[in-house]
Amino acid sequence: MSDAKKIVLAEDNSTLSLLLKFRLEKEGYKLLIAVDGKEAIELIEQHDPELILTDIMMPFISGLEVISHVRNKLAKQTPIIVFSAAGQEEMVLKAFNLGANDFMGKPFSPNELVIRVKRLLR
Amino acid sequence: MKSYQYLIDYFENSPPIIQVVWVVCCVFLVSIVSLVLYLKFLRSKLRKDEKIVAKFQKEYESDLISYLYAGNEEEAISAEQQIIIDKLKICAADEFKRRIVVSTLLRLRNEISGEMAEAIQKLYFQSGLITYAFKKFKSNKWYVVAKGIRELTQLQVKEAHDKVMIFVNHPKKEIRKEVQLYLVTLFHFEGLKFLDLLETPLSEWDQIQLLEVLQRFDEQEIPDINPWLKSTNDSVVAFTLKLAKIYNQFEAKDTLLELLAHPQKKIRVEAIQVLCHLQVFEAKDVLKNKFGELSLEEQIAFFKLLENIFETGDEPFLLAHVNHENFEIKVSALKVLKILNFEKFKSLKENSAMPEYVKIVEFIEHN
Repeated sequence: MSDAKKIVLAEDNSTLSLLLKFRLEKEGYKLLIAVDGKEAIELIEQHDPELILTDIMMPFISGLEVISHVRNKLAKQTPIIVFSAAGQEEMVLKAFNLGANDFMGKPFSPNELVIRVKRLLR
Repeated sequence: MKSYQYLIDYFENSPPIIQVVWVVCCVFLVSIVSLVLYLKFLRSKLRKDEKIVAKFQKEYESDLISYLYAGNEEEAISAEQQIIIDKLKICAADEFKRRIVVSTLLRLRNEISGEMAEAIQKLYFQSGLITYAFKKFKSNKWYVVAKGIRELTQLQVKEAHDKVMIFVNHPKKEIRKEVQLYLVTLFHFEGLKFLDLLETPLSEWDQIQLLEVLQRFDEQEIPDINPWLKSTNDSVVAFTLKLAKIYNQFEAKDTLLELLAHPQKKIRVEAIQVLCHLQVFEAKDVLKNKFGELSLEEQIAFFKLLENIFETGDEPFLLAHVNHENFEIKVSALKVLKILNFEKFKSLKENSAMPEYVKIVEFIEHN
């Protein structure tokens, strides 16, 4: 388990976080869960994960700010997948401009997320 | 005791106005202290409730995730899943716990799709939560019924269709709105068939909400709108006109032309606008022939239509209206004339003695 690739998941919906934790841990990844952007940044700085999954709309610090922090302040190229809700198309474009690698619109299939995670961590 | 007696003496010997002020002060002081104590109690109660809700929510989240991952291909319901179902059945009997269970299911149902979303819906049925949603339909309180329908919409329970349809003409507009959203969210364009039965008005806001829901779907094939355009309910006709415009329902051309003789002016004007959007040439001749009988709004709408679908033969009609007293009609006529016969258009400027009119012509000439 100590060799497992680390993934930071920033998501304010605790039920979804728990579901994704179960699903991704089943695939052999180690999940670190943050309930908001502030906590996500702390986890990223502390654990240097191999992948970041982040929702766009979060309390305190948004997903966009998390991406900006990773790309500009930490200058890391860690793959980032963003989650967006319907009607946040502009936010998704901003996320890509800031350096996000992929996005998934909610509602999404957890199985599809696993495929995308695997592809990015290959 | 001495100072206490001193205060009583002071109060009794004070002039009446000072006594009144003291009484008022005391009343305020007592009220403020009681309110502060009450707020403190309320806050601690809310915090306590929040903690209880969070505790149950965590428990049900964990149960839900366990349920979702406890399935296997051999059995329809695994033993582990059955334990969770039984537990949730007991929780569902308690209104407080039921609310938390439903909100937990919804929190996840709104975020995911695919097999897991279907499994959540299955759990909603298996745990008997659906029966409680149906029980809400029997409530005398309108908001309880509306909440019941909304719950079924959010959990996408298509099986409730017939039960929900009973409320399609409910006197309370909030319930009707929930019914309409249920039908359109779950059955997409097919759900619009409630328009056949709708006897009550469909407000502008309801119409906007329905259109907003419809535009989320990939399939854009809409059923035959002709019967709705012929509806005796004017709001249904108005909504269908919006549908005809957004989804380019050229097939409904003949019925749209019939609406030019609708008793309601608002409908007639909207029909002209839709015909203009669809560029139905036949509408032009119908309206031109009875131009004098049209209301001003219809005349303006007709000229907007002319801007879209003009022909060379329209020139005499346009010339007859280049001096119309209505500004919008005048401008529309001049705009079309400029395209059809520029020389004639320029001659209007030269022959006019009115500086205001020349200014309008010049503006159109350069724009």
